[in-house]
Amino acid sequence: MTMPPAQAAYTCPYCRMASDGGGGTCPACGAPVDLRLKVSDSGWVEQPPIRDLAHIRFGRSTCQVSGTYVPVAEMALHDDDWVYFSHHVLLHTDASVRLGTLPLKGGWQRMRAGMPLIMMRAQGPGHIAFSADAPGETLAVPLSAGRAIDVVEHRFLVATGNVAYQWQNSNIWFTTQDGDDEEWHYPLGKTIDQFAATGGNGLLLLHAPGNTFIRDLAPRQRILVQPSGLIWKDQSVRMFLHFEYPHGQYWFSSSRYQAKATWLTLEGPGRVAIQSVFERPEGSGYVRRTSGATTQQW
Amino acid sequence: MDRIECQWCKAQNEMGRTNCTTCGAPLDTKDLVTDSGWAEAPRLRDMTEFRFSNSTCQIEGEIVPVAEIALAQGDSVFFEHHVMLWKEPQVPLSALNTGGGMKRMLGGMPHILSVAHGPGRVAFSRDASGEVVVLPLHPSMELDVREHAFLAGTHSLTYSFVRIQGLVNVLHGGGGMYMDRFVTQNEPGLLLLHGYGNVFQKTLQQGEKIMVEPGGFLYKDSSVTMNAVKQNVKTGLMGGHSMYLAEMTGPGRVGIQSMYVHHGSD
Repeated sequence: MTMPPAQAAYTCPYCRMASDGGGGTCPACGAPVDLRLKVSDSGWVEQPPIRDLAHIRFGRSTCQVSGTYVPVAEMALHDDDWVYFSHHVLLHTDASVRLGTLPLKGGWQRMRAGMPLIMMRAQGPGHIAFSADAPGETLAVPLSAGRAIDVVEHRFLVATGNVAYQWQNSNIWFTTQDGDDEEWHYPLGKTIDQFAATGGNGLLLLHAPGNTFIRDLAPRQRILVQPSGLIWKDQSVRMFLHFEYPHGQYWFSSSRYQAKATWLTLEGPGRVAIQSVFERPEGSGYVRRTSGATTQQW
Repeated sequence: MDRIECQWCKAQNEMGRTNCTTCGAPLDTKDLVTDSGWAEAPRLRDMTEFRFSNSTCQIEGEIVPVAEIALAQGDSVFFEHHVMLWKEPQVPLSALNTGGGMKRMLGGMPHILSVAHGPGRVAFSRDASGEVVVLPLHPSMELDVREHAFLAGTHSLTYSFVRIQGLVNVLHGGGGMYMDRFVTQNEPGLLLLHGYGNVFQKTLQQGEKIMVEPGGFLYKDSSVTMNAVKQNVKTGLMGGHSMYLAEMTGPGRVGIQSMYVHHGSD
């Protein structure tokens, strides 16, 4: 009798983690297995929504993502595992889950940047669930040991205890002139979050409004995206501002002021993820100073 | 030769196709029409691709869809500049002067539209969950669209804006002071709108009326008239209450969206 060949190892195209691929969904990020890749003609890969009620494993715990419009991430925490999160994303928890705080440095600066001053931590055993406040997708980003990514502020949902968190100035800014006043703009937010898996593999959950697309940029390959459309990027991806001034028929329609396009240039190598919902770009007016930008007059 | 007619845009398609080449609407699924006659705008399948002129448009995502356009040399699209999600660096931009700068500023509308020229790729999306509605406009058509609802229009469309007539309509109509107007001359054009929530369309006969929530109005043929009509509601001892509805009178198409902000109750 001939035995069927052993199933080849499956590498998830979204989180790049290997598994046996037998469960229907990737155990590291919840992406459906065997789903035909949805790649736009230009090369953006649409990240498939995590299948309803898909299970994701981390440590000795599991995470189940349910719902499709505003998904809920429900975790079954083992005694030894803990996660941290911003308090406003907590949806429900068992009484057995031990809640505490995770103090953060730089409280004054975080308050000025509109970021939460403290993180909460939850230690098993028990169930705890999280959700954000906008229709969109919950993204699981498994981090292999030593990997680090940059995440735009307010996209973070929850992370496992072995993922180190820090934040720093995004260093993406420009100023505009308004009479004698100089107005400061931070199109990416004043700060950017950084997550790194330090003690083994970790799991990071993000929530992005709208649909999510990822793209792998080759070395020196550039793409222009709306700054508030960025979700996360590999740390190898460079970013800087780019201003474009469309050509108009008249001086006032040459749009130095109103129709100026403010872009974030992303330059590979590395992976970037964007969302289809973004804020209306602010900052009409003459650009006076920048954190470093290129300009194109069409 | 047998052809399949698209029930949304009426374009003729080759046998065997599963979606319309002109507007991307699925051809192999039954049209969804409510008992009262509202047709649900076709839910475009993820990665649906359709053509206009020598260019293609692909719709990606289903919560807040993205319209990604591959512009051919000589083709262009115009749009409000803040709906561009990403673009290739080499795609040139120009500004389209709309005229009426002061009026548009008062109406809260941008007085410059941006134009992206081929060759190259550019992508658009709006800021909330909903649908991309694809409206191919045949020659000599006029369509009025609620302000800030249009995503992009092809170069063959003529853009203008019209003031909503009547102070009551402006104050209580829920649509602001102006509507965008898109006109085709001799060449067909393609208009992409973003509707919040789901989008439905009804075709009114000559003189037929329908009352709609003003905030839900999305687009109409210019032959359809729109007036804000006060509705008085008695609430017993507590006195009266009033609200306004938009009275639409045919002939022509009316499009509405299911997610809206209600204005004007008092």
